[in-house]
Amino acid sequence: MSSNDVRDMLDLPDSGSTRPAKKQKLTAPRPVLKGLAREIQNLSGDNPIAIVPEVSAFKKKRYGSRKPVAKWEQKPFKNSARDGDPLVLRHWRRKEEKPPAPPVGEDGNVEMEEAVAPIAEEMVEDSTFAKYNVRVNVPEYTEEEYNAKLQNQDWTKLETDHLVGLAYEYDLRWPVIWDRYEPPLPAPDSADSLLGLVLPPKIRTVEDLKARYYSVAATMMAERKPPIKMNSAEFNLHEVMSNFNPAIETARKKFAEAAFQRTKEEAREEESLLLELKRILARSDKLNEERRELYARLEAPPSTGNIGIYSSSQGLQQLLQQLMQASKKRKSLMGSEGISPAAGPSQQASFERRDSSVRESISGPSGSNNNKKGPPPGPSERRQLTEEEEKIYGVSHHERIGASGAAFRHEKISKPLISKSSVQQTKIANVLVELEIPNRLIMPTVEVGEAYESLLQSINTLLDARKLADKLDGEIKLARQQKEEREKAARLERGEAVEGDEVEGNNKTEKEKSVARSVRGGSVARSVRGGSQGHKRSASVLSATSEQNFQRSKEYRLRH
Amino acid sequence: MAASQPLTSSIQPTDASPPCHTPRRINIANHCPTTDEVSAIILDPGYSSVRAGFAGEDTPKSFVNSHYGVSDAGKFTFGDDAIHNPLAGLDIRNPMSKEGIVEDWDTATQLWEYAITSRLTSFKQSDPRTNGLNDPSEIAMDVEEVEEGERTLGEHPLLMTETAWNTTKNREKAIEIAMESWGCPAFWLARNSVMAAFGGGKATSLVIDVGASTASVISIHDGLILKKSVQKSPVAGNWLSSQLRSLFASTEPKANLVPHFDIASKTPVDAGAPAQATYRKYENKIPDSFRAFEEERVLTEFKESVVQVWNGMGRLNTVNANGVSNTDYVKSQPGRVFEFPDGANQMWGVERMSVAEGLFDERAALPIPNEPALTKAQTIPEMVRQSLAAVDIDLRPHLLGNVVVTGGTTLINGFTDRLHNELTAMYPGARVKIQAAGLTAERRFGSWIGGSILGSLGTFHQMWISRKEYEEFGVNVVEKRCK
Repeated sequence: MSSNDVRDMLDLPDSGSTRPAKKQKLTAPRPVLKGLAREIQNLSGDNPIAIVPEVSAFKKKRYGSRKPVAKWEQKPFKNSARDGDPLVLRHWRRKEEKPPAPPVGEDGNVEMEEAVAPIAEEMVEDSTFAKYNVRVNVPEYTEEEYNAKLQNQDWTKLETDHLVGLAYEYDLRWPVIWDRYEPPLPAPDSADSLLGLVLPPKIRTVEDLKARYYSVAATMMAERKPPIKMNSAEFNLHEVMSNFNPAIETARKKFAEAAFQRTKEEAREEESLLLELKRILARSDKLNEERRELYARLEAPPSTGNIGIYSSSQGLQQLLQQLMQASKKRKSLMGSEGISPAAGPSQQASFERRDSSVRESISGPSGSNNNKKGPPPGPSERRQLTEEEEKIYGVSHHERIGASGAAFRHEKISKPLISKSSVQQTKIANVLVELEIPNRLIMPTVEVGEAYESLLQSINTLLDARKLADKLDGEIKLARQQKEEREKAARLERGEAVEGDEVEGNNKTEKEKSVARSVRGGSVARSVRGGSQGHKRSASVLSATSEQNFQRSKEYRLRH
Repeated sequence: MAASQPLTSSIQPTDASPPCHTPRRINIANHCPTTDEVSAIILDPGYSSVRAGFAGEDTPKSFVNSHYGVSDAGKFTFGDDAIHNPLAGLDIRNPMSKEGIVEDWDTATQLWEYAITSRLTSFKQSDPRTNGLNDPSEIAMDVEEVEEGERTLGEHPLLMTETAWNTTKNREKAIEIAMESWGCPAFWLARNSVMAAFGGGKATSLVIDVGASTASVISIHDGLILKKSVQKSPVAGNWLSSQLRSLFASTEPKANLVPHFDIASKTPVDAGAPAQATYRKYENKIPDSFRAFEEERVLTEFKESVVQVWNGMGRLNTVNANGVSNTDYVKSQPGRVFEFPDGANQMWGVERMSVAEGLFDERAALPIPNEPALTKAQTIPEMVRQSLAAVDIDLRPHLLGNVVVTGGTTLINGFTDRLHNELTAMYPGARVKIQAAGLTAERRFGSWIGGSILGSLGTFHQMWISRKEYEEFGVNVVEKRCK
């Protein structure tokens, strides 16, 4: 990016001076380098690295690149901001290389002075600072315009002229204008002086001057360009000027003056008062906030959700379960972070130990957790506390809180029930229904509870016994059927007709046949010897029958 | 890449300079983009010295004592080298009045010409008929030579400073001399208080200038003095000297003010002991003006090394929070020893503060024989109050935030601290900020430096009163232009 580009961007006119053209880049092939130097050259690309100057000749280059000494001259210049004044000053400027064009004399007989002057004028450049010369625009008016529009009781035209002149001269610096404003004496031929009534010049305040100037300016502005045609900036200016109110300004200045004249004590007092006010405001804010909150609570709309489901204890328990679930989820989320927050203070002290315990927990639950009571370490990497640390942190373990954590005591009652399989549960429930004992105890006192527990125990034993009985029953039946089969076969061998047994129904015989077929592979003796295996197989076969027998055997047992 | 491209010096940095409406503190040593030097000469005459130099430099090259010697034969001698010579008929005079404005124009012109030509430009003879040195009837010169002589400052625009209370006649005389006698191509007359504000880097400021003959407090708004705010009083360096004389007369034993030129040799004596010195004898009587002038040098030394302004809280005679008056506190502190040229030396305790207290407290001023007592309006805090009261209320906080302190007498120890204390006590609601140059030279030459800044600004070129304008409008052009 060259300065030309910058000029382009900033819309600056091209600097008349022609800059020396960029030096032609040396395109000549560089000397072939070897070894490390070549590597460096490859690294740097086209731009040579500054830290490895290639100095072939030490001082020769310096002399070679030296330009001729810059020539400076005292160059005359003029300033166009001087309103055509031909003041020519001189400043030091670099001498331009190009020799100035020889003056072209048009007429040979023109006098020497005249011939030189215009050429000199042309040669003299303008000051670069002339462009900073800016002046304010002040209203201009003619005599007629003044008489028609700008008449004012308080102001003569002479005074107005003087004021506008000052405003122009001092670029609307009002403090200066006010300072330098000296009401001009009326011309001796004016009416006042003829009557001998030369009034003492009025003492005018800054506000008076401003009010007069703005009113004149606004009037003339509207005169030159109707407010409708003005652009927004002009219109705003017009509005501001025509709305100037000296009374407000005066009041403001009085106030400022009073504030300025305060004594130290007053200033301090005001400061403390302001502080107090701030505090009171802050307090009232807080109070309002609290009051609003209170009102909001009082006027809170009734809850729309149905809370009926939570009115029963069951519903409450359900809610509790939900909450527990939620908290467990949260806990697992927290656990996934690895280190429990409690490990904070002694983290460094027990770093090694923790490390090892982590490794232990990874290696499996069979690790050395023998010395620890309480819950076995779960899959989470919760650090294990030694006994000392447990003492320090006040960790205590309770026997009655099991692995599942804290639980309601009433759950203990339903525990023997829940721990069984659903089939068993229904069986137990059936027994209880039969005994007309409700599922949940109505009056769970100690005795009742104990009795209930023992009842459940006996129900369990009963059910176990019945299971066994059923099994035995089935086996006996099987053995009997096998025996009948064998007898039947023996009878067939003997040629006796089968009697009676056929009556039992095709259905049954078909089934028994299939059983017999399955058993036929091996000898009966082997099937008997096979023990449990044979039992299992037969049990699956007999499950249907046992269901049929259930009712019967139950009645039988209860009778005992 | 722009960075890799070398900056050609043919590209003038002035071309891209930002608009600069008000002069501000510039680094004169560097080529500032707002400057465009036309080798203008800045002339800053004062009661005690004349400062002259080229615009754009940081100190005046030429520093000449305003006092000059007139021999019996009527020969004028200028400059420090010549006027301290105890010659029989050498009368020391000053072309400036006690108010710091020119009284004796003929000599002032010569003095200034000496200040300019002795250091800045080559010595060129001024017109022998008008320089006041010759009897016009005796001289007959070639016209050529006269023309040559007129070009004393032919190539240099001249920027001169003046006091805020300078008379119209004096201002017209100044441009007349610059244009007619010195042949300046352009001229400008600036207020020295405005220049001091510029020197302090401010366009709007309250300038407190305590020089040799006058102290002044003037409000400046945007580089223009507010005429109603001009306050001046004689409570300045010369007044302080007379305080010292009163003090020396009243001490026990009386301190004897003997200037250096009277002493041939001296022997060291204990503090308070009478001097043991051998005095020079002069065959012819040395004029009183010369003696007074030389005594003044001793007093200046005393002011520089011993005098201090009470710069603690309150005034010197107020009682502080512990119930001890500040005077008693100062008495308990170690004093300073001053040895006079004759070898007599003495410890100066509270006196070194009480002599300067009158600058701030008229009741503490020592009575000076044959002079009216100091009034309250003449003290510096009161002048500040009056000056501020005469400007618009909106401007006052601004001015107090930009107080520029200048002038040699403000270099007295503790002056700015005390001034700050006084102003904050007076205006507790306003923020007072004092801008006082740390360098001695900058404080003494504050108005010259401001002139140097102004004269080197590129935007100032449109302001100069050119020779053509002078020829067109006459001498009253200066009243019209230099407001």
